[in-house]
Amino acid sequence: MTPPPNALCRHCLLPVGRRGFMRTVNGEGCQFCCYGCCIAHQVKSGSGDASEAAWFLVRLGVGSFLSMNIMLFSLLVYSGAFNGADRRVLPTIHLLLWGLATPAVLILGQPFLSETWSQARRGRLTSSALIVLGSLAAYGYSTLAVFQRGGHLYFDTASMVLMLFTLGRYLEAAGRARASRDLAPLLAAESELATVLEDDQEQRRPVREVRAGMLIRVRPGERIPIDGLIVEGSSHCDDSVITGESRPIAKAAGATVLAGSINLDGPLLIESSGSGGESRWAQICCSVREALRQSSRTQRIADRLVGAFVPIVLALAAVTFLYWIQRLPLDQALLTALSVMVVACPCAVGLAAPMAHSLGIGQLARHGCLVRNAGALEALAGARLIAFDKTGTLTLGRPQLVDIASDGVLEGEVVARLAALERHSEHGLARAIALAAGARGIDPIPAVDVQILPGRGLRGVVHGEAIAAGSAALMRELGWVLPPALLERAGVMAASGHSVVFVGWRENASAGRARAALSFDDTPLPEARATVDALRGLGLQVVLLSGDHAGAAARVADTVGADDWQAGLLPEAKRTALDQYRARHGAVAMVGDGLNDGPGLAWADIGIAVGSATDLARETADLVLPVDGLWLLPWVVAQARAVRSTILANLAWAFGYNLAALTCAVLGLLQPILAAAVMAGSSLLVVLNSLRLERLPGPYHPSVPELAAAARPGSEPGPPAQGRSPALALLKA
Amino acid sequence: MTYFALLFIAGFAGSFHCIGMCGGFACALGPDGRGAGATSLRHVLYNTGRLSTYCFLGGLAGALGQLICTALAPGTQRAAPLLSASLDVGQRALAVIAGLLMIVMALSFFGLRGRHWVMNGFGSSTLVVSLRRLLGRHGFAAPLAFGVLNGFLPCPLVYAMIAQAASTFNVLSGCLAMAAFGLGTFPAMLVMGGIGRLLAPSWRQRGVRLAGSFILVLGLVTLSRGIMPKMAGHGLHLPWHFA
Repeated sequence: MTPPPNALCRHCLLPVGRRGFMRTVNGEGCQFCCYGCCIAHQVKSGSGDASEAAWFLVRLGVGSFLSMNIMLFSLLVYSGAFNGADRRVLPTIHLLLWGLATPAVLILGQPFLSETWSQARRGRLTSSALIVLGSLAAYGYSTLAVFQRGGHLYFDTASMVLMLFTLGRYLEAAGRARASRDLAPLLAAESELATVLEDDQEQRRPVREVRAGMLIRVRPGERIPIDGLIVEGSSHCDDSVITGESRPIAKAAGATVLAGSINLDGPLLIESSGSGGESRWAQICCSVREALRQSSRTQRIADRLVGAFVPIVLALAAVTFLYWIQRLPLDQALLTALSVMVVACPCAVGLAAPMAHSLGIGQLARHGCLVRNAGALEALAGARLIAFDKTGTLTLGRPQLVDIASDGVLEGEVVARLAALERHSEHGLARAIALAAGARGIDPIPAVDVQILPGRGLRGVVHGEAIAAGSAALMRELGWVLPPALLERAGVMAASGHSVVFVGWRENASAGRARAALSFDDTPLPEARATVDALRGLGLQVVLLSGDHAGAAARVADTVGADDWQAGLLPEAKRTALDQYRARHGAVAMVGDGLNDGPGLAWADIGIAVGSATDLARETADLVLPVDGLWLLPWVVAQARAVRSTILANLAWAFGYNLAALTCAVLGLLQPILAAAVMAGSSLLVVLNSLRLERLPGPYHPSVPELAAAARPGSEPGPPAQGRSPALALLKA
Repeated sequence: MTYFALLFIAGFAGSFHCIGMCGGFACALGPDGRGAGATSLRHVLYNTGRLSTYCFLGGLAGALGQLICTALAPGTQRAAPLLSASLDVGQRALAVIAGLLMIVMALSFFGLRGRHWVMNGFGSSTLVVSLRRLLGRHGFAAPLAFGVLNGFLPCPLVYAMIAQAASTFNVLSGCLAMAAFGLGTFPAMLVMGGIGRLLAPSWRQRGVRLAGSFILVLGLVTLSRGIMPKMAGHGLHLPWHFA
C-alpha cells in the first residue's frame, strides 16, 4: 500500500514522499513518512493502559538506564581511558559503578529472586535460580573488590546479565500476547458485559447474570453478548467468531442473533433466549481456555527435561569452577562458571511448544475450527490415516432423487403425481421428491384420500384414480402389474446401494400397474471429492467406515476416491476397525458429525467433528470443524503439521543452541554478557520462528457457483475441477 | 573541540527533525500537576534518559570500531585519531563505510530515500506498546524509563551519529560524540516540553534540511578520511589533546 506522494505524514505532518507507507492505527488507515513516525504515532494515540505492564516497563527503563551507564563506564575502564594520568580517579569510578550497580541489581533481580524463592519453597529449582546465582556471584565478588581496593570489577556482567534476561522475558511476553491475538475474541465471552434494559433503565451487567427473556441493548460496533431474537432495530452482523465465516449478514426484527458476533451498523434491542453462560460462544470460550491450559506430550517432555537440566547445570558450573581455579585466578574461574550457568538457562525450551500451540489454535479459531486440547494438533500432524463416517460427513445426510426408470410414461408426470402424494408424508424421501419437483419446475397435482401404509408406502387418489408409491411388495399386495423390465432395472439400482420406490397408478379404469421406479441416494457433498483428494495429496490414507449397507458405502467411497471402505459397521465394530487400521498405519484420525459416532471419535487418536450442533461440553471430539466445514480439513491438517514442525524446530534449536553454547562456556570461550545475549537471542529466535505460523496461507474454498453446479439435484455430483483450486494444489505440493 | 561543537550543532539542527517525531512525546509527557519545578524535572529526566541511551550506543559503537580495527591491523592500537591523524587500513575501511552510511542518511532527509531497511514488525511494535504504556504514568521513574526506551526508537539521525561514533574507533570518543549530539537536541526538546505544542511544519521542514546538510558534511568528511592519502590536522582536535 502506497499513499499518494503529496499526502502528509499523519505524525509529523511533513510530506510523506514517494516512499511513504500506510498503517492502520486504531482502525483507521494512516499515512507515515517513515517508520519512526509510525511508531511514535502509535505510542501517542494508541489506547490501553495496564498499570502492571507500565510498572514493569518503568523497571526495565530505569534498570537499563543504570546498566547502560555501568556498561559505559566499564567499557571506558577496559579500553584504558583512565590509564596514565587519570589513574587516581579509578577508585572513584569503582565506587560510582558500585553505586549504580546496587540499585540495578535490586531493581532487575527482584522478579527473578522472588520467583526463585517461591519455587524453592516448593522444592523446585528453576532457571531463575541460575540467573540469580550467577549475577549475585558477580555482584558479590565485585563489591568485595571495590572495598578491598583490588581486583577486577564485574558489575557490568551482573547488571547486563539481568538486563538481557529481563528484556528476553519481556519480548517473550510480547510474543505470547501476539500469538494469542486471534484467541482474544473467543476468550472475551467470560468477561463480557451486557447492557440490560430493565424498567426503561439501562444497566451494565456481567453476561453470566443475564437470564432468558431479558432485553439487551447492543450498540453498533459492540459484540452481541447473548444468543437471542431481535426485538427492535436492524443491522448487519459479523458472525465470524462463531461460524468462521467473515461477512456481514443483514438482520432485522425477528431474526436470531448469536452471542459473539459483532453488531456492525445499527442499534439493536435483543430478547435473550437463554442465560449468558449457555451460549455457544461461552461454551467455545470454556473449551478454548481448557485447550490452552492443557499441555501436550511434547511440552510435558520438554518441561521434564528442563526440570532435570537445572541441577545438572549447577553441578556442571561447580565442576567448571573447580577445574579452572587450579589454572586461573579466582575471578576468571568464577566468570567461567558464571558463563556456564547463564548460557544453560533453558528459557527457549519452555517457550517452544505453547506459543506455537496458541498460534495454531488461534489461526484455526479464526476460521471457526475449535481445538479442544493442545495435543490434538500434534496428534493430527502425526496421523497417517483418516477414517470418515459416511452419513452426514462426506454426504449431505439426506436422500436425493438420483434416477428414474419409467415404463411408458414421462418422467415429469411421474414426479408430479408422486409429489402430490408425498406432500402428505413426513418421510425423508418425501422431501427429496419435493426438492426434485421444485428443481424441475413441476407443480404438484392435488391428491385426495392419502393413506400412509407404514413400512410399505402411500396410497391415494389423483384425478379420481388410485395411485400408490412404495416397495415392490406394496405393488404385489395391491395386485398391480410389475413389468419385468422395470423390476430388472430396479434390481440394478438397489444393487448399487440406492433406495428404490415404485410408483403405480390406474388409468382409464384399467388394472393398476407400476409405471416407474425411482432411486434415491444420499449424495456425497460437492466438496467431498476435492477434500479427499487433497488429504491423499498430503500423504494420508482415506477410509470410509459406514453403518450403511455395502452397496451404498462402496458407491460413496468410489465417488469421493477413498482408499478403502467398510460397511455395515455398528459403533462397536467401528472401534475394532479403527484398531486394525491403527495396527497397520499408526495414528488414526476419525471424522464424524459428532452425533451418532461419539464412541468412534473418542476411540480414534484424534476425533474430528464436522458441523456439530450438539453441546460442546459433551462432545468427544478433539477438533470441531464449523457447519459445512469439511472443505477446511486439508488446511487444518496442513496447519497442524506446520505447528508440529515449528515446535520440533524450536526444540531442536533451543536444545542444540544450549548444548553448543554450554560447551563453549565450559571451555571458557564465552563471556557471561555474551552468553546472556546469546540466550536472550535464542528465546527471541524461538518467538520469531513461532510467529512465522501467522504468515501461513488461509484455507481456500472452491468457488460458490462451482459447488452449486455440482450440488444441483439430479446432476451427477462431480468433483470441482482440480486445476481451479490453487490452495488444495498448494497443500499437495 | 571543534569536532564536538560540530556534532552539537548537528544535534541542535537535527532536533527540528526530532520535534516532528519525538517532540510529540515531549508534549504527551506534558506538565506535571505539582508545579513548574516538577514539570522541568520530568522533562530533564526524560531527556537524560534519552541522552544516556545515546551515550551507551555511542560507546558501544566506538568499542566495536576499536575491536574491528585491532582485529584488522593488530599492533597498531592508538588513541583516537579523529579528524587529525592518519589512519591505518582498518580505520580507513570503517571510515568509508561510516561515511557512506551517513551520506545515505543525509540524502534521506532531502527526500531521496533508499529502501526501507529499518527493522520491521515484531520488535518495533513491542517497543511502541511499551512506550504507550509508560506515557500515562506519574512519578519520576516513568519519564526516565520513557526517555531510555525512546532513545532506542529507529531514527535515521541517530543511526548516522552512531556510524560517526563507530568511526572514532574509541569508546570514550564514541560516547562523547553521541553525548555532544544528544546535548544538541536538548534545547529544542526541553522547549517543546515547556510549550507543549508543535512547531509549524514549514519551520520543521527547514530544520530537517539543515540537519541533513550537517550530516552530509560530516559524512563527506568521514568518507574523505578513509579515502584521502594523509590528511593534515586542521585544528579539529580532541579536547584532551590540549590538556
